[in-house]
Amino acid sequence: MTLVQQSRFLRTTVACVSVVFFLCLGASGVAAQKKFSRTYPAGQTVRLKLLNRTGTVTVEGWDRQEVRIEATLEAPAANITPQSLSGEIVVNLVRDNEGRGEVGNVNFAIRVPFYTMVDIETVIGNLSVSNISSGLVRAHISSEGDIVLLNIGASNVAAENVMGNIFFDGELQDGGTYRFSSVKGDIGLRIPTNSSFRVVATAPSTRDIVFYQCQSPDLTLLGDGRRMIGKCGAGSASLSVTNQRGSIKFFKR
Amino acid sequence: MNCEDCKALITALMEEDLDETRAESMRLHLADCVTCATVCEEVAAIVDVATVEGEDLLPEHHSKQIWCRINNVIESEQKPLANVDPQPERKGLWHFSFWQLASGLACIALVSSLLTVVAIRNYYEPAATDSLARTTSNGVFDRVLMKVGLAETPQEQLERKLRERQATIDYWNARVQVRRNQWDPQTRAAFDRNLREIDDSLNEYQTILQRDPEDQLTVEMMDSVLNEKTDLLRDFSDL
Repeated sequence: MTLVQQSRFLRTTVACVSVVFFLCLGASGVAAQKKFSRTYPAGQTVRLKLLNRTGTVTVEGWDRQEVRIEATLEAPAANITPQSLSGEIVVNLVRDNEGRGEVGNVNFAIRVPFYTMVDIETVIGNLSVSNISSGLVRAHISSEGDIVLLNIGASNVAAENVMGNIFFDGELQDGGTYRFSSVKGDIGLRIPTNSSFRVVATAPSTRDIVFYQCQSPDLTLLGDGRRMIGKCGAGSASLSVTNQRGSIKFFKR
Repeated sequence: MNCEDCKALITALMEEDLDETRAESMRLHLADCVTCATVCEEVAAIVDVATVEGEDLLPEHHSKQIWCRINNVIESEQKPLANVDPQPERKGLWHFSFWQLASGLACIALVSSLLTVVAIRNYYEPAATDSLARTTSNGVFDRVLMKVGLAETPQEQLERKLRERQATIDYWNARVQVRRNQWDPQTRAAFDRNLREIDDSLNEYQTILQRDPEDQLTVEMMDSVLNEKTDLLRDFSDL
C-alpha cells in the first residue's frame, strides 16, 4: 500500500467512526426523551389548569370538541398524572413530583377548544397561548421566561413573570379585566384602535411608556412620567400594566 | 358609774363631800379605770401644790372653776384622738359646678368618640395590613389621630408592614434553603438570577423612599415587588 492509499484509508476510517459516533449520540438523546400523549373529550365548558416545573408550554385553540395534551419529557422524566373532573383538566407537575430533586424539562403542546378557560403556570420556561376566546386566559411564570398571547379574545387576561418579555395580541372585551406585570423585560400590547378601556401603565424605572393613537384618548402622566393613566373610548374594560424595570409599548392591531 | 360621772365628782371626793355609797362606787371605778385614776392623781397633785404654796393660790370657792379648766384641757387633748378615724365626707353630684360637669361630660364624649372611630377603622381595615400602599393615606382626621398618638405615622406604618412582610419572606426563604441543594444547577442559577433582580428593584425603591418617604407610587411599586419576591420563594420552595 502506497503512502497516498494509506492516507486515504485513514481519512475514510476517521469519517466512518465520526458518523457512527454522532448517530449513537443522537440515538441516545432520543432515547433519553419520553413522550406523553392523552386526549380528553370536551363539553360545553372546559377549563385547563396546568402547573409545570420547567419547560415550555404551548396552548392552542382549535375547532374540535376535545383536548389533546402532548408532552416531551427530558430525563430524568417527570411524573405526569392529569386529572379530568367536571369539565376541568388539571395537570400539576409540581405536586406530582414534589420532593424529587432533579426533574427534566417537560415541554407541552396542548390543543383545546377555543372557548376553553386556560390557566397555565410554570416555574421556569416560556408560555404561549393562542386562538382562545373564553372567559379566562392566565399565564404565570414564577421566575424567567417569555409569555406570548396571540389572537386572544378573553374577558379576563393575566400575564405575569419576573424576567422575560410579555406580548399580548388580541381584543379587549367590554367589562373585561386585563393585567400584565413583569419585573424586567418588555411588555408589548397589540390591540385595536377602537378598543374601549381605562388604563394604568407604570414603568417606574425606565419611564418608557409608548402609547398608541386610540379613539378619544384622555391620558395623564403622573409621578414624573413613571405612570400613565387615562382612558380610550368609553373606558369599559380595565387594563393594568406594570413593568418595574422595563418598557411598555402599545401597538395598533 | 361611768367616766363622765366620775370626773364630775373627783373634786367632791377630794373634799370628802360625797356620801359613803357614792364614794365607794367612785373608788371602785377608779380602781378599774386607769384614765380616771390618772385624772384623779393629777387633781390631787394640784390640790397638794396649792395647799403647800399658799392658801390664796387656790381659794376654796374656785375649785369648781379650776376643775372646769382642767376638764377643758383634757377634752381638748382627747379631741385629736377622736378625729383619728374621721368619716369620709360624702359629696353628691350636686356638689360639682355646672361648668365642671359640662367639661367632664365633654371630655368623656370626646375620648369615647375617638376610641370608637379608631376601633371602627381598625375593624374595617385589616385587609390593608398586607399592603404597603395604604400606609400613606392620611387625611386630616388621620393627622389628628397621629398628633394625639392614637394612630401610627406613615413612616411607622411602612416600617411595621415591611417588618411583617420580611417575616413572611424569611419563612419562605428558610424553606427554600432546605430544598435548594436538591435542585439542578440550572434551577439554582435561575432562582439566584431572579432573586437578585428583585432585590435590586427593592434597593432602588428603598433609596427613593429614604429621600421621599411620601412617594406613594414608589411605596406601591415596592409592595408589588415584595409580592413578586414572596411568590418566587413560595413557588421554588415547592420544588
